[in-house]
Formats: sequence, C-alpha cells, structure tokens
Amino acid sequence: MAEDGKDWKKMVRGSGTTPDREAMRELFKHHIESFDHLCESGLETMFLRIKPVVVTDPSCNIKLRIWFGKPELYPPQKEQSKSTHLPLYPSECRQAKISYTGKFLAEVCFQYDNSAAVIRQKFNFGQFPIMLMSKLCNLRGADPQKLVSCREESLEMGGYFILNGFERVVRLLILQKRNYPVSVVRNSFSDRREGYTDKAVVIRCVREDQSAVTVKLYYLRSGSARLGFWIQGREFLLPLGIVLKALVDTTDHEIYLSLTSCYSEKYEGVKGAVGTPLLGERAKVILDEVQHLALLTRLQCLQHIGEHFQPVMNGLETESYSVVGETVLRDYIFVHLDNNYDKFNLLIFMVQKLFSLIDQTSAPDNLDSLQNQEVLLPGQLITIYLKEKLQEWLDKAKRLLQDQINNKSKNFDFRSLEDIKKVMDKNPSKQISQAIENMLKTGRLATQSGLDLQQRAGMTVQAERLNFLRYLSHFRAVHRGSSFAGLRTTSVRKLLPESWGFLCPVHTPDGEPCGLLNHMTASCRITSYFNSQGNIRDFFKIKLSILSVLIGVGMTPSLPKLAQAGPPEVLSVLLDGRVVGSIPSSEVEKAVAHIRRLKLAATSAIPDDLEVGYVPLSMGGAYPGLFLFSSPSRFVRPVKNISVPSEKSHDIELIGPFEQAFMEIRCPDGGDGGRRNTFPATHEEIHPTGILSVVANLTPWSDHNQSPRNMYQCQMAKQTMAFSSQAIHFRADQKLYHLQTPQTPIVRTSAYEKYFMDEYPLGTNAIVAVLAYSGYDMEDAMILNKSSVDRGLCHGQIYQTDTIDLTDQSNRADRSQRTFRRSNVDKSVHSLIDSDGLPYVGQMIHPNEPYCSIYNEVTSTTKTNNLKSTEPVIVDYVAVDGKKNVVVDGKKKGLLQKVNIRYRRSRNPVIGDKFSSRHGQKGVCSQLWPDIDMPFSGVTGMRPDLIINPHAFPSRMTIAMLLESVAAKGGSLQGKFVDATPFASSVKKANGEPSSESSSLVDELGSMLTSYGFNYHGVEVLYSGVYGMELTCEIFIGPVYYQRLRHMVSDKFQVRSTGTVDQVTRQPIKGRKHGGGIRFGEMERDSLLAHGAAYLLHDRLHTCSDHHIADVCSLCGSILTTSFVQPQKRAVRQIGGLPPGRTPKKVTCHACQTSKGMETVAMPYVFRYLAAELAAMNIKMTLQLSNEGESLMSFAVWTEDD
Amino acid sequence: MEGASYQRFPKVKIREMKDDYAKFELRDTDASVANALRRVMIAEVPTIAIDLVEIEVNSSVLNDEFIAHRLGLIPLTSERAMSMRFSRDCDACDGDGQCEFCSVEFHLRAKCLTDQTLDVTSKDLYSSDHTVVPVDFSDSSGYDASEQRGIIIVKLRRGQELRLRAIARKGIGKDHAKWSPAATVTFMYEPEIHINEDLMETLSLEDKRSWVESSPTKVFDIDPNTQQVVVVDPEAYTYDDEVIKKAEAMGKPGLVEIYAKEDSFIFTVESTGAIKASQLVLNAIEVLKQKLDAVRLSDDTVEADDQFGELGAHMRGG
Repeated sequence: MAEDGKDWKKMVRGSGTTPDREAMRELFKHHIESFDHLCESGLETMFLRIKPVVVTDPSCNIKLRIWFGKPELYPPQKEQSKSTHLPLYPSECRQAKISYTGKFLAEVCFQYDNSAAVIRQKFNFGQFPIMLMSKLCNLRGADPQKLVSCREESLEMGGYFILNGFERVVRLLILQKRNYPVSVVRNSFSDRREGYTDKAVVIRCVREDQSAVTVKLYYLRSGSARLGFWIQGREFLLPLGIVLKALVDTTDHEIYLSLTSCYSEKYEGVKGAVGTPLLGERAKVILDEVQHLALLTRLQCLQHIGEHFQPVMNGLETESYSVVGETVLRDYIFVHLDNNYDKFNLLIFMVQKLFSLIDQTSAPDNLDSLQNQEVLLPGQLITIYLKEKLQEWLDKAKRLLQDQINNKSKNFDFRSLEDIKKVMDKNPSKQISQAIENMLKTGRLATQSGLDLQQRAGMTVQAERLNFLRYLSHFRAVHRGSSFAGLRTTSVRKLLPESWGFLCPVHTPDGEPCGLLNHMTASCRITSYFNSQGNIRDFFKIKLSILSVLIGVGMTPSLPKLAQAGPPEVLSVLLDGRVVGSIPSSEVEKAVAHIRRLKLAATSAIPDDLEVGYVPLSMGGAYPGLFLFSSPSRFVRPVKNISVPSEKSHDIELIGPFEQAFMEIRCPDGGDGGRRNTFPATHEEIHPTGILSVVANLTPWSDHNQSPRNMYQCQMAKQTMAFSSQAIHFRADQKLYHLQTPQTPIVRTSAYEKYFMDEYPLGTNAIVAVLAYSGYDMEDAMILNKSSVDRGLCHGQIYQTDTIDLTDQSNRADRSQRTFRRSNVDKSVHSLIDSDGLPYVGQMIHPNEPYCSIYNEVTSTTKTNNLKSTEPVIVDYVAVDGKKNVVVDGKKKGLLQKVNIRYRRSRNPVIGDKFSSRHGQKGVCSQLWPDIDMPFSGVTGMRPDLIINPHAFPSRMTIAMLLESVAAKGGSLQGKFVDATPFASSVKKANGEPSSESSSLVDELGSMLTSYGFNYHGVEVLYSGVYGMELTCEIFIGPVYYQRLRHMVSDKFQVRSTGTVDQVTRQPIKGRKHGGGIRFGEMERDSLLAHGAAYLLHDRLHTCSDHHIADVCSLCGSILTTSFVQPQKRAVRQIGGLPPGRTPKKVTCHACQTSKGMETVAMPYVFRYLAAELAAMNIKMTLQLSNEGESLMSFAVWTEDD
Repeated sequence: MEGASYQRFPKVKIREMKDDYAKFELRDTDASVANALRRVMIAEVPTIAIDLVEIEVNSSVLNDEFIAHRLGLIPLTSERAMSMRFSRDCDACDGDGQCEFCSVEFHLRAKCLTDQTLDVTSKDLYSSDHTVVPVDFSDSSGYDASEQRGIIIVKLRRGQELRLRAIARKGIGKDHAKWSPAATVTFMYEPEIHINEDLMETLSLEDKRSWVESSPTKVFDIDPNTQQVVVVDPEAYTYDDEVIKKAEAMGKPGLVEIYAKEDSFIFTVESTGAIKASQLVLNAIEVLKQKLDAVRLSDDTVEADDQFGELGAHMRGG
C-alpha cells in the first residue's frame, strides 16, 4: 500500500459491526405503535364514547338503555376443537390464503330504567384483523431464530395485515394538523352563500377517541362571522354571536371586551400588533345579530340552536331544545375540548385570528405545507371506522327492537333479555369485524358520514415484496390524498421548504403522483401514544405538568379571567388547541428555551417530542402565539440542540415541522449559513443525509449527480429484480422476482449497513467499460458479455403461485363434490401428474400441458387444468391445506380441497432485458456478445461484463457513476468497501474541523488507483477483441453496481401473423394475452401515406386485417341482400373413387330475386358491418359498380311513404 | 496463388511455465495471428464439463437449475477432451450423448445427518472415468488438504438431501463459458522505449524523480550511482502515455519515445485447471491449424465440412 493509505482508510468502513435492528424497526414503528395503542387502550376509549341508545316500550313505559362495555381482542388462534388453542402464525395465513385475525369480543350493557342493575352480556364481534408484530401478534418479541422457525424473514418488521393471504398496508395520508386553527383563503368559501368572503379560520378538532370534526369560521362581508360544520353530509352555519352566547353565561359587554382585547391604541402599527380599530365595529355587528333574533340569555341561544338542529340529531327527538343545543355544542363544536369556557376562549382566539387575516395584520396559513399537517395512522383509521360501524350496529339494534315492540308480537317479551338478544342477532355482530376486514382488503370506506376524511377509497395498498426497497417504501410513503390527484393545479405538488428534513425531496415518483406521494426521510418519525420507554402516555398528566411549567415561566392562566390583552403585548399560549393563557412577549423567548431544555432532560415530565411552536411577532407574518402540541400523529425528527450546554448524549431534540419554520438550525459543516450574529443558530442538523429517504440514501455520492437522476434511481431501485425474500421457500405470493446470485456493492453509503441491505441485496458488481464499440450500444442500449451471463451474471427466477380451491363455488353452477384425483384411464397424463392428481415437484410443464387433475364425484369425470402461460414452467412446490385432510375417527373428515402450486421459470438475461446502475442510468441489453469479442485489457486480461455508450454521460451528468467506477476499482484492489455517503465533505469531524481535505474526492480515489499501478483517471488501454489491435483511446473501465429491472422482454414481446379476430368486425383483436396484434393506428397510417407506400398500406390495413370479398348486386347496389342459394342435391350417382364435384357457389339477390347482377368486390369487412348498422337505422347504402375503378356509393333514407 | 510470399516463421519463447499459468513471447508475426491464438484459447479449445443433470432428490435451499448451473461451471480435468467425440456427432450412441466415447457420468449423493452444516463440494462428485474428475486445487495452493474440500456446490442442513446423476460432455467455450479452459488469456505488444538521454540530462534530479514517478507502473528508475534515468522494466509499461504527457507538461516533449513493436507479443495464459496452461497453448495451435487447413482445402473441396468433422461447424459459423 502506498503512503496515502491512511487517508484512504478514512473512507473505508470496517465490516462486522454488531447488528442493531432498532434502526430498522424505527422505520416501521409508527404503524405498529398506532395499532398497539388500538389494542391496549384505543378500543376501550372509543367504546366508552359510543352513544348509548334507549329503547322505550310505550305500552308499559319501560326504557331499556343499551351501551357498550369493555372490548376484548385476542391474538390469532387456529380454529381447533374447543379445548386446544394453538397460535395461528402469519406464514400459515399466507399459504392458506386466509386472514390473520383474532377473536373480538365486547360487552354490551343493558339497563332497564326501573332497575339499577346493569346486565353485561358478551357479544362476539367476529374475527378482527391483527397487525403483524403488534402486541397481539404471535410473533411479537420473537428473536431472529424464532422468526425463522416460524417461517418468517429473520428481519420481519411487521406493520401490515394479512387478508386472504395478501399483505396489505394502511396508506399514510396527510391530514390537517389537529387542534390548530389555520387561516385559509379559498375562493370556494365565497360561493357558500350570499355575503360570504373567501376567508375563514379552519380547525380540525380531534376527540380523545381519534374521531374528528372540522369547524370553519367564515368571515362575512357584513363584518360578522359564521361557524360552519358538517352533519350528515350537510354543512350547517351558525352565527358567531349565538355560539359565543350559548357556550357560557356572559354579557354582551364581556364578549365585546374579549373580541376587541387584542387591539390597543398604544400598539397600533407596532410590529406584531394584530388588532385594528375595526374590531369594535365588527364586535357590534356580531352582537347586533343576536339582538335581532331576540336572543338575550344563554338558555335562549341554546334553545334556538336546539330548535334548528333537532331534526338532524338522532336519538334526541324527545329531548328539550336546550338539551339538543347542549349536545350540538358538545358533539360538533371544538370536540377536542370538554369545557365550554375553553371552547369560548378558543372561539375568541379564532375570531381574533380571522379578523387579523381580514385586516392583513397576519398572513394566511398554507394548508399544503407540512407545517399545518399531520398523518393518518392505521390505528386511527381503524378506530374511527370501527366506531361508526359499532354506532350503526347499535342504532340498527335499537330500530329492530323498536319495530318488534311496535309489532306487538306475542312471543316477544321486552323484559326478557333472551328475546332482546334474539332480536339483536338479526343484525349479526360478527359483521363488524368483517366490515373492518373488507375495508383493509379493498381500501374502501363504506361510510355515511365520511369520517371527516377527504377520500373514501385507496386507504390501503398491497405491500409488494418485489424487492426490499419497494416493500420498505410502502411503510414510509405518505400520500397527500387521492382527491388532490385530479386537481389541475400543481400547487399541492410543490416541494415546500417546510418539509425540509421530514419528506424526502428526491424520493417521489415522476409522472402522475409526483409530489402527492412522498416518502418520509430516514430520520423522520411519527409521534405516538407511547413514550420512549414503550409505555402509554398519560396525556392528562403531561398537560398538567406542561401547564405548571408554563405558569412557572410567567404565563397568566386564562381560566379565571376571560378577557386578555393581545399581541404584541402578550402572546396567547395554546396547548393542543386549548387557550391555556397568555405570556408577555418579553418573556416568551426565555420560556421557549426553558421548555426546550426540559424536553431534553430525561427526568422532566415534559415529553421529548413536545412541539414548541413559537410564532414570533412580525409585520403581517404568521399569526403570533405560542402553540404547544403533545398530540400523536405528528411528524418529528431529531436535531442537535447546541444552545443547551449538556452532555453529548442528551442534546438530541425531536422537532416538528410547525416549530421548525421558526427555528435556527444550521448545517453541520461548521459554517453559520449566513446567519451572522443576528439569528444565532440554536440547533444543528445531525447529518445532511437526514433530508433523504432510506432509498435515496442508498445512492452513492448522490450529491455529485444531477438531481433528477437521483429521482429516477429511487424509482428504479423499487423496480429492481432483487433478492426479495429470505424465506422464499415458504412464500406463496402471486408473483415473486428473485435474483439468483446477488452481490453486495463495493461502493456503498452508511445507510447500506444501517438498514441491513446485505440481507436483501439488489444487484451485481459488473465490470463496465464506457466505449462506443460497435453501435450496438447506441441510445442507452448496452452490450452484455455472454460468457459472464453463462457464468451466472444477473440470473434470476420468477415464482408464480397458483391457488386451486375446490370449495370455491363462484365459478361453478353445480354444488358437486370435487377432489384431486388422477384418471386411471388416461395414461397419457401420468408422466406429468402424480397419483394424487397434483404435479410432480421439479417437473417441467410446457404450455397447454396438464398440471393437475380434478375428479368430479357427481359426474364421475376427470378434468385436467392445463398450463395457460406461453413459456414452460417448473413446479417449485405443491403445498396442500393440511387442515382439510385430517383423519378423525378412522374416516376422512374432509378431502383435500385447497392447494398452492408454485411454478418457477428461470429468467436469465436475454436481449431486450432492462438494466440500470444506481444513478438513473437505465439501458436495454442489445447484444449478448461472447467473451472473445469483447475488448480486453493487455495488462490484466480483463474483459468487461457490460459495455455502455459514453454518450450516456454528458447530458445526464451522473458524475457519481464515474466516481463509483473509480472507487470500486480502488476498493476491489484493496479488498475493502468504499464509503460513498453523500455530503460527507459538509460534515464537521468530531474534532471540530471540517473534513475539507485539501484534495478533492477525485484526488483521493485517483491516487489510490495510481498506487496500485492503474491510471489516475480510471482509464485503461484496451485491445479490440475482434482484431487484437490497441483501441485508439484509453477506455474508462471499472466495476459499477448494476441492478436488473423487472421489465423483461419475455413478459412483453408480442407477435402475430394470423390469429383470433373480432367477431363483429373480423379485425384482429388486441391484447398480448389473447395473441392479438398491435394497432396500426391513424398516425402510423399517415406516415405510410406520406411515404407513398401504398402497397404496404393496403397490406397492413386491408389484406392483413379484415379483407373480405363481398357479393354485391349491381342491379340494386346492395351488399346485404345477397345470399347463397343452397344448390339442390342432384341425384347423380357418385362415381366411385372420384371426389364429389364441387357445386359452384350460387348467389342471388333477395331484393331483385335474381342472380344476374352478381359481382364480387373486395372490401374491408367492417364496411359490410357499416352497411348493416346503417340498415338498422333505416339508411340504405347502395353501391354503383363500374369497371373504371370509380365505384360510387349513395345513401337513402327510407320513409313510411316508400 | 501468385505473388510474393508473406510467409513468416513465428517464434515462441517461453518465459514462465506453471500448471495453470504460462507466459511466453510470440515473435515474428502480427496481431491477427496473436489474436486468433487468444480467441481460440478462450473459446475453441475443447474441454469437458457437466452438461446434463438428472436430479433425483433435491431438498436443499437452492433450486434444481441453480445446482445444475453450478455443477456445469466446475472445471473437470480434460486431457482427454481433444481425443473425445462431440456427442452431437458420436456414432456410438446415435447422438443422445450417453456413451463412453462422448460422455462421462457423475454421481452425487449427499445427505446431512448432523446438526452441523454439510458442505457438498466438487469432491462429492463421483466420476465414472478416473481421468475426468473435478479439478483439485489442494496441492497447488498452500492450504491443508482438510481445509480445502473442493468447490462448494451447496450447503445442506440437517435432513436435507441432494442426489443426482450428471453427464459431462465435450464442448467449446463458444457454446457456453463453462467449456472455456482459459481463465485469462491476454497479450500485449512489446514496447520499445527510447529515452532521449541529452534531453534527460537537462532535467534536475528532482524533475527526473517526479517524471519517473508519473508512471503508475514501475517502468523507469533512477540509477543510484549515475543518477541517470534507466528503463528497468519496459513490459510494465501499459501504453498509458502518462510519462509522455508528463514530459510535455514539463516542457520537454520528446523526452521519451515509446513504440509498440508490431510483431512481438507477450502472452499471459491462465488456465482454469481443466488442462495445463502449456497444453492449452498447444491445443490452441492444433485447433488453429485444423481451422487453417480447412480454409486452405475449402478452395478446392466443396465438402470440406465432411473432411474436417467437428471443425466443420467452425468454418460454417465462423
């Protein structure tokens, strides 16, 4: 090794680090934790929130109250005999194509009004889907050994559901940030009703049981405001004054003071002042509105609300107006708050924010920015959906009971619980779990209310295991919502600076879902109900301790006094959407710093992921205030807090996108980022790669590439045919791609090891030469070395599983019993099918050969299933459903009904297959050349595995690919992996000095090569393999990690000479599957016309399509009235030995009753079809035939008169 | 054939010769001959390799094709290959390739009965012909015999079994790389290096040193006594032009002149072990000669194919 080996060592990482799966688990954690919360307490909380129903028997005037008690959810178990309960494992579900579900029981409580006793009855709510690796999963906590013995990946991370054998993930959706009022300007608001403006303040309130209600506060041109919320698909609008008055007992004067509190003459025009003198005018308008309705007291307001809402409030038909009014306030207005005083204060705050938006003392918030967004997690989705289903079930039970009572049937006793249960069973409780399962299976929400969500479909996606990166991306993807996909505006797709560090700017697909489907960065997490110790958080306690801390730092609590001053004097403090007080603006920065310090301290009661959103005073910027969030479902990411002088281990702070916008976070390159001393940085990024997703992090030296190339790589990494699964022998996926001999990349980033990519490698280190060698590498084509392919380069297989379920009645009319059995008569199939009716394992089956044989016991016939594919397959395994084959008491309980047959087809590289490097450089194999024809190095004798064209580089500027080639050459000479983590030069080293070596990266790599006797630039002298002459220029050659993409010609080629035609038009059909042709369309026709290729045109469009010789009657000009005349059987004796003479075709015209004018004309068959269609519309088409090639056509419409 | 004769008499000088490695000079000929020799060595010298595998039991983690592919790539000792028949034109077995003249049968039976992983290697292949066996590297490399158990085919865990019958046939590397006897065959033109002594003397010692070091390979050195630049190893020169560029950068173009001798080649041959490197060269010359014979005779013999049997394919296909 040369003397610069020391420098080199810095770039090479040692192998053999102890595996720490925690980093990996973090990537999936948000799914699992949210489901864990559902199992542990979420269900219970939600059950208690379901509204009880009351059934009244008018005859005896007994009331029955029914409500839900405690739910119980069990881990998945096999349905065996009653005594034994064996755990059901996910691998069994995948093979048997069943769902991974656990028993779901719940108490339903009954109480008759005349008795104090509550009768609790357990109801079975069916089999509830259980998320893998959640607390109820049988694999939870299993070590790798156990996982492997359970036929799982040793790196199984869970986070998905298994439904009918399919793995489905709940898609993370972007929602509006909960419990934070956002000012919005939207044109559609002004269309609501007359007098509305386009401005409103919107808050999405989330209850403790995670159901949400969005409330909008609209501004009216009159200066007043309306509170809008949706009930049963309709928006209801309430005047602001009524709501204010209905919430608390207060006077007009107090309301006036509260509304105008944020205006003070002293501060007018000062920075941060939000109030204007107009506030008083508006307050008057608001109060006058109430006055006009003659509503003076709180009770009157409540009654007014109640009167209007009674028709839409279920179950409150008999209640008084004031009770209904209270219920409306409780169930629809600021549902995250229990206290009416809190609601009043929040409403005042929102009005002030709205008015400041109108007066342009604050700017509108952007709902498309991550700052005002959070995420929908699986647990939450299931909880709110389940809540609605349970409520529906209870309401329906009530309706059924009420009907039964009204029918006055004799055998129904309202006082007998047995009878009540019998009636309730008409609406089976097991459907509840079925509904959840269907929702997860299809991703569709069957809901009336919409659950305050923007979309009803696409809530789940299948977790494809095409390769590990694709699989992983399903769990890291965040979708903006399908309702935005159709929008013509592109503003939602914009990459906004607020998403810095949370969403990866590189990893988004190009094309239709661009910018809507984002991926979380590798370091981004989502807050949950669990703290870092794994215990459920006590939010009540957390809130109390935050409050006490806030009061300690100078906040005035809001509760005793209603009216408070406003900015810039004091700032409102909101904790999870509750106005808890106000803090003098002079104190607030100190307070924020103090809270941040407490966040870091392990011992404090302040959670480490508390979001301290301090919006400072500004001139017309965001509405100021101190907004604290402790809620789950928020994005957070770790950064270093450098303002706190503490030990190294405790300086990592979790920050959210809301607070990030107002924080000073510097890059760890040691510079100040242009801040100078005006805004000193308080925080520092941990590493610049923190802005990249896991997939984007795997691109070596992505900072040297043109940015779109990195995006392409993220796409292509997910389409790579790779080592998809370690447990491939036990999997029954419909289609599985598998790379036979993958390798670990020589050049890799630090993320590669962190996320165990060696467990699922993606490609091969191929020796790539960059030269134009024959023209076969033009336009992104590439030449593969045939001998390398012979030796196994990029070999792969496709596994396909065929599930045959004989119990499946759907495709069969008769209900006959069927079994797998081989026919004893037909010996021809015996070479392919074993005596059990199933194929031999390892047997090759060719197209149209039978692969299994089914015996129908009713018809006593055997039918074989024949292979439909166009290429031969090999039987990889046959899995039978063991459960159905048990022998009980000497006789067979059930016959084998369900099998999985997995086929394997080898897919070795052929011309037309697609490959790509890790730098968005894809190419199609154009030639497989033998070793001897490839250029070779005179020194080492090396021949490249792959030749690409130098033109691939100048315009695409994928410098990292060149670097990779040079680095991999050096690394393989040295026998060490090369670290290619991007932005490595912008990271300060531990000793405080920036790692800006005097030499560049190229220098480091180049001198490495020179020390091994190679050229500094990575070029080598090559000799032509064909002529043995030295090539004129030196060739850039070195190992590059290549991926094989799943797009293969064998799946795509389409050939047809003749074949099936369409019944109606007699033109060739379309579709590769059906052996159809490729459409020769209008534009293709145009180009042939332009070339004057008339013969070819005629050939393509007529001869090869629907060439037809029609008989036309030249007398009447019709082509439809002609028909064959059946020649009379002539009673002539057949002359022995001679074939019967063909009787000449005789055609007559029906209309003319003669065959005199018969002519034959070649035409497209569709023309005849056109004539027929026209005839059906009473239009006659006549052809006038002539020999000069000027055939005329005319149309006539027949009328009644004719 | 009229006109001047271009006949030359190439000379071969062997520099180094080991079982699997050979280095020799080829002089008095041109690139076409040298390259033809290289191409023949890689792609047309016949060897024996497993070509057909019948799997009886395979409960290992690798699928049948994978194991068959791995078996095919195991080099088999192929001294017999030149005299063996291609099974496609074997009369004895009518082309089904299962007779003693054109094929060798192998058997492999392995089952793991212990908790320790069992490595199934090329040593477990039992040949029907003792002259055709998997290549054994144990003596040539410095490992102990116990350590070196041949080429691993598959690893078995407890209860897994592999049982198969394999047929090895003669073939050439052009059909499939597994029949290629050569790991590497390469040649380079012999360089001729002239240092312009006068110009060199104008350089300071420091400059000389930096010039000498500009070559990534050690071609030049400075004589410690005379402090003159001398050529220590002309063949280490890779035609990378680094020294010429350096001389130009130093403002001394023409400091050194390097030519490639158009008629001398230095060959490096590495064999897979199927045949000895020396035999590989001889066989290649033999094959090349047969091919040339075919070309010469095809002038007057239309049915050259019949005469040259197996080589007919080469002439047709090229």
